[in-house]
Amino acid sequence: MIELNNVSKSFGGTQVVSNLNLSIPKGKIFGFLGPNGAGKSTTIKMITGILPIDEGTININGIDVAKHPLETKKNFGYVPDRSDIFLRLKGIEYLNFIGDVYNVPQDIRQTKIEQLTKSFGVYEALDDHIHTYSHGMRQKIVVSGVLLHDPDVWILDEPLSGLDPKSSYTLKEMMREHADQGNTVFFSTHVLEVVEQLCDEVAIINKGQLEFHGNMKDMKQQFQDDDNLEKVFLELTQNA
Amino acid sequence: MRNSVTLIRTLLKMQFSMVGKSTSEQVGMAIAILFAIPFAGLILSIMNSLIGGLYQQLAPTGNENAVLGLVFIALTVIFLFIGLTSILSSFYFAENIEALLSFPFHPYQIILGKSAFPMILIYIANAAILAPLLIFYGLHSGAGLLYYFYALIIWGIFPLVPFAVIAILLMFLMRFANISKNKDRTKVLAGLFSFVMIIGVNIVIRMNNDGQSTGQIATLIQEENKLLNMLTGAFPTAYFSSISLTQPASWTGLLYLFIMIAISVGAVILFLTFGQKLYFKGVLGLSGGHKKTFNEQKVLRKVKEQRVFLTLLKKELRIIFRTPTFFTQCIVQSLFAPVFLVVILLFERSGSISSVGTMLEQFNGKTTILILFLFSCLIVALNPTAVSSVSRDGKSWALYLYVPVDRSSVLLSKITAAWVISLLPIGIIAGFALISIDLQLGIWVAWLMITLIASWFTCLVGTILDMQNPKLDWTDEQEIFKRMMAFFALILEATVIGLTTLLIWLIPIINGIWLTTLMLVITMGVLITAGHTLLLTFIKKTA
Repeated sequence: MIELNNVSKSFGGTQVVSNLNLSIPKGKIFGFLGPNGAGKSTTIKMITGILPIDEGTININGIDVAKHPLETKKNFGYVPDRSDIFLRLKGIEYLNFIGDVYNVPQDIRQTKIEQLTKSFGVYEALDDHIHTYSHGMRQKIVVSGVLLHDPDVWILDEPLSGLDPKSSYTLKEMMREHADQGNTVFFSTHVLEVVEQLCDEVAIINKGQLEFHGNMKDMKQQFQDDDNLEKVFLELTQNA
Repeated sequence: MRNSVTLIRTLLKMQFSMVGKSTSEQVGMAIAILFAIPFAGLILSIMNSLIGGLYQQLAPTGNENAVLGLVFIALTVIFLFIGLTSILSSFYFAENIEALLSFPFHPYQIILGKSAFPMILIYIANAAILAPLLIFYGLHSGAGLLYYFYALIIWGIFPLVPFAVIAILLMFLMRFANISKNKDRTKVLAGLFSFVMIIGVNIVIRMNNDGQSTGQIATLIQEENKLLNMLTGAFPTAYFSSISLTQPASWTGLLYLFIMIAISVGAVILFLTFGQKLYFKGVLGLSGGHKKTFNEQKVLRKVKEQRVFLTLLKKELRIIFRTPTFFTQCIVQSLFAPVFLVVILLFERSGSISSVGTMLEQFNGKTTILILFLFSCLIVALNPTAVSSVSRDGKSWALYLYVPVDRSSVLLSKITAAWVISLLPIGIIAGFALISIDLQLGIWVAWLMITLIASWFTCLVGTILDMQNPKLDWTDEQEIFKRMMAFFALILEATVIGLTTLLIWLIPIINGIWLTTLMLVITMGVLITAGHTLLLTFIKKTA
């Protein structure tokens, strides 16, 4: 579970996230939407401890991110929007590195690495340097790293970008399965079809402020039943 | 042509842009230039006396053209050397190549644009070395205006042939040897090759002039005039240039000048023609990478549990050894000073290297240890590994912000990595001192101990400094090492270590090898503890 209470963030006097309140419950896939520059990435970076919070608090599974950074970090797995990480390590070395950082025992590590990388189709490339990977393969190795330590909370920034249809389908299935097991999946995306297809709850942020928070049904009811999500999204963010 | 000019202008703008450079970097650069001025004065006076000495010895026998012959041969070697690394990097390994390939440019236009930066590097060397040498020659030979006019033309065109030769060779090599499949390894090899070449040239020079005066060199040139002719024969432009400049008023001088101009123009035309035919064939598919044969057992064997600190340390070392720029800057460059020292000591004229040991024995134990301490501090402080600790991670640094790893473990692994790398130069010197220099074993042990401790201190200072102002948004690894950070770290370390040494030296009750060593160990221990406390404070502040 992720809770944001009155969270604000400014850069050089400009407020990019303003008094944001959000509760991302367990057992749900939560989609976080907004136009470019709306404050999505800033919010995600505050949740994951990459950026300090100016005002307010963020809790993950009841633990304050700012006060207990190491404990909260053990509870979530994060897929950043850029997957260009440690390009001169081999795929297997990167996964081993992540396994050591999150204390994944060797036997579990062996099984999970094989299972995850085979399902994403990168097993064959594990002994190659990451800089020889395509964008999609890099994304897959980073996602495999996150899933390796089996965190309760998944935080994914544009996780499907660059993935081929099969891997995209696999990841979506995994997200569904993870949420159905009573865990939290929080992800940002621009692909509205994915949101319609996958999300249980949605939040739309624009200019740092929350424009909408609710489930898909609520949203469609709020804005004429016959509209599709694209029209709703454009209407909500028309001032962007 | 318009496209070529636009491309050259854009690429140079990107290379030399001051955008994103902090004021401190700009101020640092200005300070470095100010420091370089007296140093340049010293080099110029050495050049002047060298040219003057050789000219006086050779002119009476009419062999003065050998002076210029030597100068042009040396410059050709320097240009080939600068060209090798800069052309390889600009033509084949720069990040912007792929972006350029998609534009409607001819191959020759791209290589013209890509030549701009290596050419500027070569012309900087040309201005700094060839121009003063030609002027000094003119002054010593009492040359007239015509000499300076010829010299100006030759100065302007001389770098073109070596540049074209090395560029064409590299284009052939890249076209047919398919080095691109091992891009990183090629870069590492080029770095190592440059290192070996510099050391090799140094050894050859030392073997030839083993402690001889300019007069003896001149005699050697006279005696071995055939050798010089043979050498200039291998470098025809050196031959034509030197003859043209020694006889500017004659028809031969004018003819050789025209030959030089014709050869240079021909070289440029050949360079563009070969570029048009070969460049794309060598450069296309560079990003393809190299895939190894998959081995399931190997992958399983590699899945191993390790302590977090060890995994962080291994990751640091792997990235340094595998990234060509890091390898060249952190490993190869750290070996320059010790290897040069070994070469200098080995080729000393007297041949008795052990005299260094005897010389040191003339001092009392305290002075010996302090001298050795200062010397080893300089060697370890020159290594840029620590001052690039955080910056090397670039955008990957963000990972440490969201994984559950203590920041102090991350930084400790970086300090340890820098320290481990410093063991290479220390090992070379220690091994050499033990085997070749007649150094007392006691002094050797004491020296090694304080050096290892001092190395930890310099690694700590470098990492703290880099952590304060890391460069994480680089697109090319070279950008990390173009900052003034290493210079600042050196000044800071020199001040602290210098004051420590001075203090110990001035206290009369500290005497003998072991008491001095003990005091140094205690002082460095206090400094290291203070440094670690400071580091922890910074970590808490930024957490």
